[in-house]
Amino acid sequence: MKLHLGTRAAALAAAALLSASLAYSQEKTPSATAVNAKTSVAGEAHRTADGHPDLSGTWTFGIDLPPGDLQKVVDGKVIRVHYDQGARHQASHNVPGALPWEPTPSYRPEFQEKVKYLEANESKVDPVFYCDKPGTPRIGSPRKIIQLPTETIFLYEDISGDPYRVIPTDGRPRRADANPSAYGDSIGHWEKDVFVVETTNFVDDTWFGENGYMHSDKMRVIERLWLTPDHNLAYQATVEDPVVLTKPWTNFARVIPPNNDPIEESPKCKEDDGHRLLNLDHHLQR
Amino acid sequence: MKNRVVAVWLGLAVVIAATSLMAHHSPSAIFDMKKKVSLKGSVTKVDWVNPHIVIYMDAKGDDGNVESWKFESNPPRWFTKVGVTRADFAQAIGQTVTVEIVKAIDGSKYGYLQKITFPNGNQLSLLEAGQTEEVRP
Repeated sequence: MKLHLGTRAAALAAAALLSASLAYSQEKTPSATAVNAKTSVAGEAHRTADGHPDLSGTWTFGIDLPPGDLQKVVDGKVIRVHYDQGARHQASHNVPGALPWEPTPSYRPEFQEKVKYLEANESKVDPVFYCDKPGTPRIGSPRKIIQLPTETIFLYEDISGDPYRVIPTDGRPRRADANPSAYGDSIGHWEKDVFVVETTNFVDDTWFGENGYMHSDKMRVIERLWLTPDHNLAYQATVEDPVVLTKPWTNFARVIPPNNDPIEESPKCKEDDGHRLLNLDHHLQR
Repeated sequence: MKNRVVAVWLGLAVVIAATSLMAHHSPSAIFDMKKKVSLKGSVTKVDWVNPHIVIYMDAKGDDGNVESWKFESNPPRWFTKVGVTRADFAQAIGQTVTVEIVKAIDGSKYGYLQKITFPNGNQLSLLEAGQTEEVRP
């Protein structure tokens, strides 16, 4: 991509500033860099040397956590710690740059009963409930993005483990020998300022969303990631599966603020409540 | 005072309901909200695991025999977010603590841990976000 000299100089200067900031932040608070980098140019997203918006950084954890507070009593002193959910994922119906979306996918008639059954029995049959991998796109947006010239790396924290995805952006072909997996085989490209990730080669035992959204191994997922004017990350996914769906389904976009918490290994997952469930009441998680 | 008690109970209900966002199931699927009990016993093990931490405790039953209890609580990430680590619970292993729990409907020695009081009097309590009342034994 050709850049005007001024733009290139600005990009290089910004990259140099980012490098310096990264070096500094590694000794201090690593994830603070993400916040600073996104806001270092007032009103304008930071761009990489090749001119694309820089999505690199650490972003808010994507899974709902209990909204309650913790009260500590330490040596007679009462300390109230509020868990601030203001920075966690926020579902939004009006995200700048988002595609039109629909609340639910449209299943072929022969699969509708199965999806209803899975939804009704979710607390008993949802693989994620029992610590299995959510897969793409159910895992949602990455906790950390490392945007390199030839590939972009997504790092996740999930109760099932901490997966990663290496997404080529240099035009190399998909691997011919890759086995099907929960997170699939991805290729990335840019459409103006939107990073578009196309993923195929899935196993068929994950769900692509709550409510029993099963799929076939022919599923294809298109994820779109971009920066909003206020420097948050926007994430939106489209699911195509001609075997089970009548048409592609685009979910609503999520807005994910930067986050200063360091990314860390998730404790192992051991769900032991299944045999104790006396009814099928359940809630959404992601 | 009555209102305060109700407020506290509603708070606990909200905390547990919200917790099930992680666990997927509703509290009514496992725990009886009317069976909140206080137990005194010795912590034997702390499992810092998803989707909720697990505390094991030995407590004397009504007949004087030792009963082994198991409590789940909020997710490890939630505790990390509010500044509590595994070590805060693990330092109580082998010591006598008092806990407040809601019991499992199935009558097993299983509960949801809401509050723990350590031997030195220090406490950890789960509260509703908007709740201003302190929960006192």
